[in-house]
Amino acid sequence: MSSVLLLNLAWQISTLALVALGLAIVFGKLRIMNMAHGEFVMIGAYAPVITSMLGLPGWLQLPVCLVTVGPVAFVLERTIIRHLYGRMFDSLLATWGIAILLREIVELIFGRGYQSVSPPIAGTVCVFGADYPAYRIAVIIGILLGFIGLYWWNTRSKTGTRIKAMVGNPNLAEAIGINTARLSAGAFVFGCCTAGLAGLILAPTVRIEPMMGLDYLIRSFFALVVGGLGSLEGLGIGSGIIAGTQTFLGAVASQTYGYLAVLTLSILFLWLKPNGVRSSSR
Amino acid sequence: MTALLEIEGLTGGYQDTNVLFEISVEIEAGSLLGVLGRNGVGKTTLARLVQGEIKASQGDIRFDGQPMGNQPAHARRHMGVGYMPQTAMVFDDLTVQENLSLGSSGKPPDRYFDLFPRLAERLKQPAGTMSGGERKILSFVRTMIEDTKLIILDEPTEGVQPENINHMADCLRERVAEGAGVLLCEQNLNLLSDVADWFLGLDSGRVTMTGSGNMTTRKDLNAVLSL
Repeated sequence: MSSVLLLNLAWQISTLALVALGLAIVFGKLRIMNMAHGEFVMIGAYAPVITSMLGLPGWLQLPVCLVTVGPVAFVLERTIIRHLYGRMFDSLLATWGIAILLREIVELIFGRGYQSVSPPIAGTVCVFGADYPAYRIAVIIGILLGFIGLYWWNTRSKTGTRIKAMVGNPNLAEAIGINTARLSAGAFVFGCCTAGLAGLILAPTVRIEPMMGLDYLIRSFFALVVGGLGSLEGLGIGSGIIAGTQTFLGAVASQTYGYLAVLTLSILFLWLKPNGVRSSSR
Repeated sequence: MTALLEIEGLTGGYQDTNVLFEISVEIEAGSLLGVLGRNGVGKTTLARLVQGEIKASQGDIRFDGQPMGNQPAHARRHMGVGYMPQTAMVFDDLTVQENLSLGSSGKPPDRYFDLFPRLAERLKQPAGTMSGGERKILSFVRTMIEDTKLIILDEPTEGVQPENINHMADCLRERVAEGAGVLLCEQNLNLLSDVADWFLGLDSGRVTMTGSGNMTTRKDLNAVLSL
């Protein structure tokens, strides 16, 4: 296997894990089937475009991303999503409508055309004898460190336990003093912001356009189906299997075979192992 | 002396159907009110109305001199109201340890593990895998160790072995001696006559009997349950 293929695998797996993280929180923890997840990735990807249009310095891309995604997620949670906790099918329909609305709004503002932005880190670095974009290497390392930190936080923080308690038994959670409305809103906004952050990070490597979120949504769901809901380990395993299979087959055969294999895997998992490799409601 | 909990003219139920009608009662700090009655007379509804899971359609609830009727359940907990529900009383997916640590700031005193050693043996086990009686004990201990002034318990002994019911009675007496007020909805007359300072009998959502622990006979209590 060539060094470039290995690095491509690392890139695809790490970025899919990052994209799927927000869905893992919103779907895995809050049981909201967020069909607008990809649109939050898309809005995040537009942050560098907005920053550039406003003539702001590049370091403001992250604040612009959070200021754009956060309030949208907060308003949606307060007005629509808060009524849909525990109603998975209703949440699917509602967020599907939200996704269409967000796409249309972005299209109205920026048009249908593709946008592109330059990576903040230019050039290549030599890794395992292969020249690879420095930006991608930085992102892979950053995501890896971020997930290690998140795992550490998740196993030690009381907030994670409180979210599990709220999802499992909301009435009892209220009885022990958990403000479930505030915690749900916080978790939803955090999940959407991680999706926006993923979009911001991916922006220099993709074509930015209003429909771009759909592919990320589908692959994120596949990763969660295969890996299982409710744990970071499951998210990592699912991303590894989905992105790994697609990238490897895409390289040795064709993208079509890669996508076909991913679809087949997801169907097999839904059929034979519906809880995924590492399902955990905890 | 102001009562810890003052309930006046409380009417409430589920959706548009009232189950409790014009209940008035007080609980002082350092006393235990036993609420008894057959199944379906409104004991759980009274517990839920005071805890905040459901809203009253009429009447006032004051806690520590402050109006509490409009507060959500989580705010009432922060005011000092603890609650053990009759059903769904633990977080099934969390471990015993996580269940115990969620509502309180520290680990339970060793005394609770001495009284209920099964909990200590199963700290790492998900609560949902325990028997019904064990889950009752877990929920009871969680409620006992919370830093609360008023403790609401809804049928805590259902499915619990007699030996452990005696330990529960000891814990209740201790918390009352420390100054907590307790609202205990229960059908176990042995426990009630053992620990209650006051009784409130319910039938069809209305008060049918009140009395002090000293003056109320076993015959009076049996009469409430046979209504």
